[in-house]
Amino acid sequence: MRRVAIVGVGYSDVARNSGLSERHHAAQAGMRALADAGLTAKDIDGASTWGGDAIDFAWMMGMGPLQWSLNVGVSPAFITPAYHAAMAVAHGHAETVMSFRIMMQQPSGAALASGKAQLGAPSPGDTQFQHPFGELSPTQWAGLQMQRYMHETGTTQDAFAKFAEVQRSYAVMNPDALQRDPLAAADYLNLPYITKPLRILDCDYPCDSGSAVIFTTEERARDLQQPMVLVDASAISAIHDMNFSIMPDMVRTAPAHCGATLFSRTDIKPSDVDTAHLYDGFSIITFQWLEGLGLCPPGTAGDFILEGNTALGGKLPTNTDGGAINVGRRHGANFCIEAVRQLRGQCGDRQVPGAEVSVWANAVGPFGGAMLLTKG
Amino acid sequence: MDQALPPALPNDPMTDFFWEAARNGELHIQRCQACGTYIHQPRPICRNCQSFDLAGEKVSGRGVIYSFTQTFRAFHPFFVDRVPYVLATIALVEQLGLHIVSNIVGVVADQVDELVRIGMDVEVEFEELAEGYMLPVFRTVAAPVAVSA
Repeated sequence: MRRVAIVGVGYSDVARNSGLSERHHAAQAGMRALADAGLTAKDIDGASTWGGDAIDFAWMMGMGPLQWSLNVGVSPAFITPAYHAAMAVAHGHAETVMSFRIMMQQPSGAALASGKAQLGAPSPGDTQFQHPFGELSPTQWAGLQMQRYMHETGTTQDAFAKFAEVQRSYAVMNPDALQRDPLAAADYLNLPYITKPLRILDCDYPCDSGSAVIFTTEERARDLQQPMVLVDASAISAIHDMNFSIMPDMVRTAPAHCGATLFSRTDIKPSDVDTAHLYDGFSIITFQWLEGLGLCPPGTAGDFILEGNTALGGKLPTNTDGGAINVGRRHGANFCIEAVRQLRGQCGDRQVPGAEVSVWANAVGPFGGAMLLTKG
Repeated sequence: MDQALPPALPNDPMTDFFWEAARNGELHIQRCQACGTYIHQPRPICRNCQSFDLAGEKVSGRGVIYSFTQTFRAFHPFFVDRVPYVLATIALVEQLGLHIVSNIVGVVADQVDELVRIGMDVEVEFEELAEGYMLPVFRTVAAPVAVSA
């Protein structure tokens, strides 16, 4: 297998109700990733995406001919097209692959309540066992997970408040973030509940976003302009079907299985990780990844956060871009891109000095995935 | 304003037994006829022994609250007048890990914190959402119930 590097990253003009199409977001993110890498569209011979059609995007942008492509469906967000892109390069099925995560803003609460819109379901045949009981939104499985986690570990809402405060402290330093006003733990605690114990600041921020990341061989990366970032190991886990809210164990879910798998594939140990970029579609997910990856002992993520370990200057700076709660819903691509920027030393005020090993991770519950990156 | 209708049920031969039983005031769960494993939500095959011989069977209707979340926002017109309501994951006593999503009823909204807790014993009852549309929901009970292993 060939060693794989990440050589280019880019975002579209991410915004709430951007007025741009899926293709606009793909084209903007893709061209910025190419410029970041110092590559042209003709250099790309593989493409993958979660959202839209990778072949359509590649053709539109003048890439190809492609010798490898993949459109993924329900799966652990950006880690899925990224993981498979890295494998395609590692096995020689493509030389240089662009991976996309393009997502358009979901309908508003008012549109849902009025019946004008309905959220999609990952397992449509099973909604008859959810919808009649009023389970219609992912905030509800997240509320169930959070409640069970707090019950089993004794974690209090103060840990989630601190988490929101730390995330925002990074977003204040990140020009890419959509929410940048300083926020204190007390501001979080003053918010109403959506699905108690979950509040709005436990949720990622809906927006239209396009993200693109370019994978190629280590050998080719040496000739390119950015500091080298290598894929050390990656893992994807699936431990249950898509029914989050009936999982037998809501506390030790895919991150626990995925973490063990990931570290079985490398000599790197959890204690070697300098920065962590852990999915926060809901804040409880980051808690699960901190524990699942062995970055703190099981059941202690709340204390780990309350002690300041995840803040800049702490033992393990985590979600240094501010997380999707603040940069907007980019479905994990932001964590890959921020990890790359930390290892390159391009994070400005929020740079973690001497960062050499970073992990990023996606999804929770039934499924998840994670990737370890190192400075080359 | 028109009365909002509850979410419609599909016409699904694999799951009809569940809703038919509810109409008769019973909770039925799919069970493998070869190895006895309960399966929820219904599937065409048993994930324990791979048998295709499956059927709905009556269960006790007793369970334990595994988790719950008081929902304050409506995500569908039918629930606009019903918030806040308690959505819960119920561990049925018949089999470890046999979980079902339902509601906890019979507790007024501002007493949920005091009266609803993880680990509480619950028992099924049935709520009529519309004519011929009965929903299995749960109410907390005083008597202790053991979860079988």
